[in-house]
Amino acid sequence: MIPFDMVEPTSLREALSLLDPQEPTIRPVAGGTALMLMMKAGVFTPTRLICLHRIEPDFSRIALTDKGELRIGAMATLRELEKDHNVASRLPVLARAMRTLSSVRVRNVARVGGALAHGDPHMDLPPVLSALAARISVAGPNGNRELPLEKLYAGYYETALEKNELITAVTVPAPNGRKAAYMKVTSRTADDWPSLGVAVTFALADGRIRDPIVIVSAATEKVTRMSAAETALQDAAPDKAALQRAGDAAADEVETLSDAHGSAPYKRELLRVYLRRAVREALEENAH
Amino acid sequence: MDARPINFTLNGQPVSTAIEPHRNLVELLQRFDLFGARESCGQGLCGCCTVLVDGKAVSGCLYFAVWADGKSITTIEALDANGELAPMQQAFVDAAAFQCGYCTPGFILMSQQLLKENPNPSDDDIRHYLSGNLCRCGTYPEVIEAVKAAAKR
Repeated sequence: MIPFDMVEPTSLREALSLLDPQEPTIRPVAGGTALMLMMKAGVFTPTRLICLHRIEPDFSRIALTDKGELRIGAMATLRELEKDHNVASRLPVLARAMRTLSSVRVRNVARVGGALAHGDPHMDLPPVLSALAARISVAGPNGNRELPLEKLYAGYYETALEKNELITAVTVPAPNGRKAAYMKVTSRTADDWPSLGVAVTFALADGRIRDPIVIVSAATEKVTRMSAAETALQDAAPDKAALQRAGDAAADEVETLSDAHGSAPYKRELLRVYLRRAVREALEENAH
Repeated sequence: MDARPINFTLNGQPVSTAIEPHRNLVELLQRFDLFGARESCGQGLCGCCTVLVDGKAVSGCLYFAVWADGKSITTIEALDANGELAPMQQAFVDAAAFQCGYCTPGFILMSQQLLKENPNPSDDDIRHYLSGNLCRCGTYPEVIEAVKAAAKR
């Protein structure tokens, strides 16, 4: 890698003051596992990295709020999230997704905030947490703001974050019996970058799907909420015909991209099929 | 950029050196003549650079060397420091769970971590835990056999 400077602020406030909204070669680094890949590939050459390891430990905490929401500090490692007992008991879809998210070594080092802020559409946490209606807390020089995670993604590796803003936490609402599933398709090894990710959550009342959230990732330029598929599922009994309509709606509403993990038409067919499978898995996983 | 001083514990011994921010943990270890962690894929996919940082496995190729400051670093070289193979090393020998041996330090460190977290893993647990370790000689069946044998010892 090309030489650069690294500073290690000891507070969030200090870290924010070191970021420069006009200078793209100064960037924050959390776990660094994704950023180092970009640096090794030569697509990112920093002049200075702002290491977040030494900021207040509160930003690594994972805890339930008094509203029953799970608040995940942005500096928690993916492995800490995976092993958290509240995640295991309340958000099993998240715990399951972690199992095939890269490797144990990467999960030991990578941080939740970094995995969200990186903006790579192939990652697992953005679609899963978006489908769980997670919100992110963002700190900047002028104070804090909160936004739905699904609104974070603006394009391929592009987010709605300013260069001098940092994600401080992710808040996941209480599941309240909503059903959830995340499926990803890898064309090589199980822990490879996926060709497609689909995350769905919905309530089930009187045998009908209510308030579905359907998210696609990896096959598209950014993590995307699929409103046509949601409309097709809303109030539907999840029979074969309804799932087929939803899969077709999903395949029609987004633009898939060709890359090393599959052609655009291939990914479109994957989406059509895996949306149906994800809804079925959500129904089955929560049945027992 | 200038090298900066770092102090850390390396295989039980306190050490000091100075290193630049753009170096990774594998490069740091090479300065101490430790070559068991190898940078192979350079992308955290193959596991040949596995090192323990404060008891947790990391990919040395995706870990900045300066982050070792204040930490305890353990490499494959620590396992037989008393002159005897560690049980996992012996299990790999007994099961012939390697051919060229290039990936073996990573497999052994990861397998030890697995048994620490899960003393009685199923085949599926082993496959998932070691999914980030690649063996180009294809000794996966023997590796699983070795891990199960080590779990029984």
